[in-house]
Amino acid sequence: MQNTRFLLKLGLYKSGEMIYFSQLDLIHILARALRRTNLPLYYTQGFNPRVKISFSSGLKLGTQGRVDTTFYFTEQISHEKLKTELQPQLPEGLEIIKDDVKC
Amino acid sequence: MIDFKNFKRPQRYIGNEWNAIVKRKKAKLRICICYPDIYEIGMSNLGIKIIYSLLNKYPHVACERVFMPADDMAEFISQGRKKLFSLETKTPLNEFDVLGIHLGYELNFTNFLNILELGGIPLKASDRKKTIVMGGGIVNPEPLAEFVDLFFLGEFEEAADEFIGVLKKYRTKEERLAALAQLDGFYVPKFYEVSFLNNTYHFEKKYAQAQLPIKRVYVKDLNNSHYPQKWLTPHTQIVHDRAQIEIARGCPNQCNFCQAKAVYFPYREKKLASITQLITKIYETSGYENFSLLSLSASDHSEIAEIIDSSYDFFKSKRIGLSLPSLRIDDVVGRLYSKLLLLKKTSLTVAVEAANDPLRRSLNKKIDIKKLFEAAKIIKNLGVRYMKIYFMFGFSQESEEDLSAIGQFLNALNKSSGLALKASINIFIPKPFSCWQNFPMEEEKILENKRKIILSYIPRRRNIKISLAFLKKSILEAVISRADRKFSSVIYRAYTKGAKFDGYRENFSWNIWEDSMKEEGIDYRFYLDARTDNFPWSFIETANMHMSSNS
Ligand code: SF4
Repeated sequence: MQNTRFLLKLGLYKSGEMIYFSQLDLIHILARALRRTNLPLYYTQGFNPRVKISFSSGLKLGTQGRVDTTFYFTEQISHEKLKTELQPQLPEGLEIIKDDVKC
Repeated sequence: MIDFKNFKRPQRYIGNEWNAIVKRKKAKLRICICYPDIYEIGMSNLGIKIIYSLLNKYPHVACERVFMPADDMAEFISQGRKKLFSLETKTPLNEFDVLGIHLGYELNFTNFLNILELGGIPLKASDRKKTIVMGGGIVNPEPLAEFVDLFFLGEFEEAADEFIGVLKKYRTKEERLAALAQLDGFYVPKFYEVSFLNNTYHFEKKYAQAQLPIKRVYVKDLNNSHYPQKWLTPHTQIVHDRAQIEIARGCPNQCNFCQAKAVYFPYREKKLASITQLITKIYETSGYENFSLLSLSASDHSEIAEIIDSSYDFFKSKRIGLSLPSLRIDDVVGRLYSKLLLLKKTSLTVAVEAANDPLRRSLNKKIDIKKLFEAAKIIKNLGVRYMKIYFMFGFSQESEEDLSAIGQFLNALNKSSGLALKASINIFIPKPFSCWQNFPMEEEKILENKRKIILSYIPRRRNIKISLAFLKKSILEAVISRADRKFSSVIYRAYTKGAKFDGYRENFSWNIWEDSMKEEGIDYRFYLDARTDNFPWSFIETANMHMSSNS
């Protein structure tokens, strides 16, 4: 089951106090937010499995803006479902960009 | 507004963590709690998390947090004549009704003074009109008597209702202190006169209603005492980056050098059902990927196997890492540990304390060395990378063989198991309330010599790493932990000479402390020699003392 992964891309907008958190922090923030949902998470293999997340763009510490993020699941889920489950688990200053172009 | 970009790790000052509680400034009672070290360390402290969520339970109370700012922020604040502020609402510290500080580590005491100064609060209790500075987590409060208005000695969960009740009922600081001083566990230093005559400390009340002796307060029912459910989860890495589940408090063992088992007396366990319920609840609210089951000695929990069995599937399916820092070696060879290992990569920590059997027996440390050697082989095969081992030296009954045995022990264990070893070798400090509180701490010359002997026997091998206690640091820690009221002036002097972050080797300056003691006319050996008939802390009773005096 773990072998198949389904990718979903979302744009996140970092602003307010969240601009002081680094890309590494963001991985933890998002992984923990996902763990608080009931989504079918895909974990990395090996001795220290993690929730897999990757970024295709980064931001310098202290700047606001968009971070393109890829999420991985073991089942196909919709953008809508990801958005509705994830957004309430995100701290103030981290928003899923609405009406985003689907990738 | 401060531009946080200009500081190293600005995350330290932001707050806004998951499950942080921000009540607007209108709360009637404003309390700020503090751990006097940097954010990453302070946020790892379990006591801070318990008290934070406990106090915020009261609707009219707002409890916020502050930690020790790093040098860049401290400099910015003092040069700009700004004030150190709380994380939640960025309120200057001097605007709070109560500032509650965790004073569990002696080498943080100068940080504590720095926090007061940066927060715009006068350092000396007698110069303060409004703010109540309250100290907790401390065993011997005397060296801080000049700076702290109110100490709480014991486990705060048990006293929180009464404490909040008094703060609600009385408005002024003086009324509040007078009322609190009548309750168990609360100690207001200025209500007592302490003198030293005929080799004995004499304690007298200056305020008739105050308690004497002061009884340490403990939680009677651990299963129903407050424990955070909405786990405060930082957005940036901290030192112990995991959700902590306390499974027991106190320790049923009787190691002679141990302070913790005396201070956290009696031994109390949390029940299996409460523990499993907490694990799921805290995971749901935090999403933490690592958990640790905390107690002074996890193996002594009567349901430890059931705890691990019943949470195993949950941890496994959620890919949660588990650490059990105080597991005994017998359990490592048993089925427990192999189960733990399946969950996630773990290292193993063992407190051996003394390498030779007779010395270890005299410490009353119970550990099966044959099992330890067996266990090391087993866990090597299970993929654990290293074992951490604790030793202690500086006992008067120690022989040269006992010292050389440390190196030989490491050598034998490393060779027979192939496991990498990290040994941490500490100096025995006769801590207040331990069975050996009346033992002298050895002279520095002797300790230095012993240190050399130990070192000369440590095998020089890549997979044996040792960290050997820094002598002067241990001496200072011992002096402060055993000192009396007179020592407040030394701490003050050391602080004004620039002492800060004394627990960090790169900041530690023995010279500052030595000069400060000289200038105050204090011979620190007086505190270490343990020749007095009683001690500066003899006005305090731990639970085992009042339990036995009741019966
Ligand atoms: S040293 Fe550890 S095992 Fe021994 S009494 Fe203290 S807490 Fe218990």
